[in-house]
Amino acid sequence: MTCAELEILLCDYVDGTLRAAERSALESHLAGCSACSELAKDVAGVTAFIETVAPAEPPAELLTRILHVLPNGRPVAEKRSWWKKLFGGWVHGMLQPRYVMGMAMTVLSFSMIAKFAHIEPRQLRPADLDPVKIWASIDDRAHRMWDRSVKYYDNLRLVIEIQSRLKEWTDQDQAQVADASKQPASAVKQNVESGKQKAESSQQAPPSGAQKPEAGSEKKR
Amino acid sequence: MATVAIPAAKWNWVPPYPQGRTANNLDADAQLVERCLAGHDSAWEDLVKLHTRRVYSICYRFTNSDAEAQDLTQDVFMRVFKNLKSFRSGEGLFVVWLTRLTRNLLIDHYRRTRMDRATESIEDQVKVLEETIAVLARTDGMLAGREASEVLQAGLQKLSPELRETVILRDLEELEYREIAQVLNVPEGTVKSRLNRGRAELARVLRRHKVRI
Repeated sequence: MTCAELEILLCDYVDGTLRAAERSALESHLAGCSACSELAKDVAGVTAFIETVAPAEPPAELLTRILHVLPNGRPVAEKRSWWKKLFGGWVHGMLQPRYVMGMAMTVLSFSMIAKFAHIEPRQLRPADLDPVKIWASIDDRAHRMWDRSVKYYDNLRLVIEIQSRLKEWTDQDQAQVADASKQPASAVKQNVESGKQKAESSQQAPPSGAQKPEAGSEKKR
Repeated sequence: MATVAIPAAKWNWVPPYPQGRTANNLDADAQLVERCLAGHDSAWEDLVKLHTRRVYSICYRFTNSDAEAQDLTQDVFMRVFKNLKSFRSGEGLFVVWLTRLTRNLLIDHYRRTRMDRATESIEDQVKVLEETIAVLARTDGMLAGREASEVLQAGLQKLSPELRETVILRDLEELEYREIAQVLNVPEGTVKSRLNRGRAELARVLRRHKVRI
């Protein structure tokens, strides 16, 4: 018997279910093979040890828990209506105690603020529900709000400053354009020539003393 | 430190399992399943009562966590209720079907929690080891009952999932080799080979922790 053959038969040997011939062959192999003998000892030792181990008992509440999840012993076949499918998710979330409590506290806070600020809501009348009236009211409010916001931004100091600066620049540009159009072409030519002469004189070598103050100023820096 | 003496090989060793399952309770399983499928309400409850212990035990031994084992047991029964129609009593035993279902869930759970285990703090492992050593010091390495269960539990966690599940199904749940082969979907020879390796590895782990086996 080889070691590989022994490994296959070892479980049955430990179980005590081997036939006599196989058992004697296996035992003779064990007597001459220290590795297999060691393996057999380990296997038998562990199996005997596990025999002494207490079973893992589930807690008593587990059974109740499972049966609770499956009411009347049957799985809950949850049939969700179209309404629940559409709104079930977030409505269910909103109905959690913490959110409901938060909403209640918010309403309470606003009502207290309104009371202390002497803001009293006007009683609603049937005439207020006329669609034309509602639309006119909304339109009126929207226009008022728009005008108010435009006026608010126009009155901001920053906006006024920017607008006045822009106006100044625009005026200056317009004045320059007007001056240029008034000057005759000969005057423009003279100006150009005199400008050229000035440029040539500045390109000539400057006096030697002129650099000293600059050097001195660099040292000061 | 006391050395561990492995007793002489128990060549005359008798299998520890007068198998817990008899022809009667196999019939009972088949009848229960039929009653469940026929719509008897009490049958579902009986089925849960009958098999909760087995499913919980497998889950607990594999995961080493009571909370996870409870959740997984609940999931197993939810899946049983959904898929019981797919069970054919002529094709195999209900216990094998249930164990296979449990094992599949455990494997899914094992893969899902791989990252959690990788980040498990070394302090937790040291704590378990210290508790085991304390138990052993109190009992001089001779363990039984609940203490042996705790030490075995720590040892099982050192095995690879393949070896662990094989040892659990054979030595703790007492399934036949043929049934384990069906559950794991491997040949019987592979089951025996894994069982030998698992037991030998477990023996080494226990010996390292000074347990007398």
